[in-house]
Amino acid sequence: MTNRASAGRIAAHVVMIGLSFLAIFPVYWMIQTSFRAENEIFSGGLFPAVPTLKNYTDVLAAMPMLRILGNTVVMAGATTLAQVATGLLAAWALVRWRFPGGALARSLIALSWLVPFQVVMIPNYVLASKLGLLDTVTGLVIPNAAAAFSVLVLYNAMRGFPREVIEAARMDGAGNFRILAEVVLPNLSAPLASVSILCFISAWNDYFWPLLLIRRMENSVVQIGLQFFMTQEGNDWGPLMAAATLASLPILALYLVLQRQVVDSFMKSGIR
Amino acid sequence: MIRRHFLALALSTTLLAGGFAPAAQAQMAPSVDQPVTITFYNYNLASAGLGREATLDLIARFEAANPNIKVEPIAAPSNEVLSRVQADMVAGIEVDVAQLVFRDLIYAAEQLGAQPLEDMAGEELAAHAAGFVPNGLALGEVDGKTYGLAYVFSTPVMFINGDLFRAAGLDPATPPRTWDEVKAAGIAIAEKTGKHGFFPGAYGPIDGTFVYQSIVMSNGGGKVRDGNTLTFADKDQADAVAMLRDLMDSGAHARIDVGAHMDTFASGNLGMFLFTSAVLSRFETAAKDNFELGMAPMPSFGDKPTAPTNSGSAIFTFSEDPVKQRASWELMKFLTSDEAYSVITSQIGYLPLRPSTVEDPRYLKDWMAANPKFQANIDQLDRLTPNVAFPGPNYRQVENMMKEAVTEAVFGNGDPREVLKTAQDLAQPLMPQD
Repeated sequence: MTNRASAGRIAAHVVMIGLSFLAIFPVYWMIQTSFRAENEIFSGGLFPAVPTLKNYTDVLAAMPMLRILGNTVVMAGATTLAQVATGLLAAWALVRWRFPGGALARSLIALSWLVPFQVVMIPNYVLASKLGLLDTVTGLVIPNAAAAFSVLVLYNAMRGFPREVIEAARMDGAGNFRILAEVVLPNLSAPLASVSILCFISAWNDYFWPLLLIRRMENSVVQIGLQFFMTQEGNDWGPLMAAATLASLPILALYLVLQRQVVDSFMKSGIR
Repeated sequence: MIRRHFLALALSTTLLAGGFAPAAQAQMAPSVDQPVTITFYNYNLASAGLGREATLDLIARFEAANPNIKVEPIAAPSNEVLSRVQADMVAGIEVDVAQLVFRDLIYAAEQLGAQPLEDMAGEELAAHAAGFVPNGLALGEVDGKTYGLAYVFSTPVMFINGDLFRAAGLDPATPPRTWDEVKAAGIAIAEKTGKHGFFPGAYGPIDGTFVYQSIVMSNGGGKVRDGNTLTFADKDQADAVAMLRDLMDSGAHARIDVGAHMDTFASGNLGMFLFTSAVLSRFETAAKDNFELGMAPMPSFGDKPTAPTNSGSAIFTFSEDPVKQRASWELMKFLTSDEAYSVITSQIGYLPLRPSTVEDPRYLKDWMAANPKFQANIDQLDRLTPNVAFPGPNYRQVENMMKEAVTEAVFGNGDPREVLKTAQDLAQPLMPQD
């Protein structure tokens, strides 16, 4: 290895270390602030002078944080399952059959992606109210049960699937659902993982729909829970950082388990 | 923030397109003889801390005193509570009592169907208002009728960092009383300590424009609008903003992010901060073991009297059912009673609408003795000047254009009077036509 190549590698590593530091430092600051006493929040040291768990006990006393985390996991998980299921079936229909209006349907689905959720939020709210879904996790999931993003990603993934394999399965007597379940699905693990991860993160971060629909803290989700410590009279930084740390743990755990798939999904699907 | 505005716009359009109009006046029932449940939309409940605890305490006391009335609290953040009220109205859900910020006053009265209290409660309103501060009822008036009862509100006070004052060779016991003195003190703090001198919470992003309006109306009494004509670029009003720009150019005024003012003061890096007294308890906690905290009345333009305006919120009722109207009125009366203000002032830090409570040993006398700093805020009650809300469906857009122009006039490089005039000309078409 030449000195020039070696210097290049060192420079690249210096840049990457710097970028990593920029990415990690806010997380570190969140965690260390969560252990600071109230009157020490604004001191600039890298470590709390007298670490305390008071912010965590305050959070757990002020709100049912574990239940809220549970609600969020259920909501994000159910939304992900629903979006993947509806996306899979819609994509399969669009790929498998040529029918009049198929291209138009695909275009309309793509166009619906451009409509902000806020536009349909009020009609959804009125409908949810009439169906008795206010203040329920079910009400959070149903309006988001189908997503154009999921349909389009899976449509593009299925379109590249060899038609000959599908025809062979058909000649062997397999029905459409069996072909989808036993032939196509096993070969779609990578795009399915990508869609699932991105749908889960998107649902986890949803703020406006829960804000409108949920009326009681015990039925709430973490994004609304964090707002609980941002008041008209300023932010309660200690409890806010403690709640944010607790809220980050499930996503962090998911990331640690599915690190490669998360990176792949961002690379393949674009950062949302 | 953009998404929030979008939500408010969507809701407003839905309400207007649906032909939503104030309901016909019903005759309020004389009493509540059967169990009834009313909804109470409240933003203090949407956040942890003293405001929530005090509000829950007040609701519990009210229910104990009125066993036939159950209050169903509905929490929404202050920026979202109007959207929640609107959405529930569209969905056909009954909204009985709502805590809305003062900027929504005219919209609540003219577009949402808030009940005019003179029509609903008749002579009971005047009897209940006896003992309010001068202008107390006027805070919630639109076209001569009272739609909102001032609830949790405050006026701008000057928070002082005593340690920075001493480090700059100033005496924190004699804080600046005029804007000229603020300029001198701000320059001294900035030059001798390297910290920031002065900052007013006048540029958002929270709590409307009450600090800005207080400063403007203290310079001769001119308001930001006259009827449907915008006047925030008129001479006296623009001169007040030009004064802030002069503070900025001299170095006395901090050049910081407008959303970071509270944290900058709480961290001990700002000598003087003009803002609502509702943050007093937060600053006392931050100052403990860190710096000496002081509080003074808002500064004046020379000998001109100051015109402190009200921050915070009023309570409105939208009930149409006669029994629920009675229940709502009883709740509104309780929330603005001597007993309630002893809780609101001592636990949250807002001003008492009933000044006699501060002298009464049953209510706030002992608390005032233990919290002498608060007197600066009480002293301003005599000059309490109603905050000016904007009319019409574009009221929030007009207010934002004004606020952004003020920020640009103070923080930018252009002529502040020209900046205000340009914004006023652009915003005027958004006002209702006479």
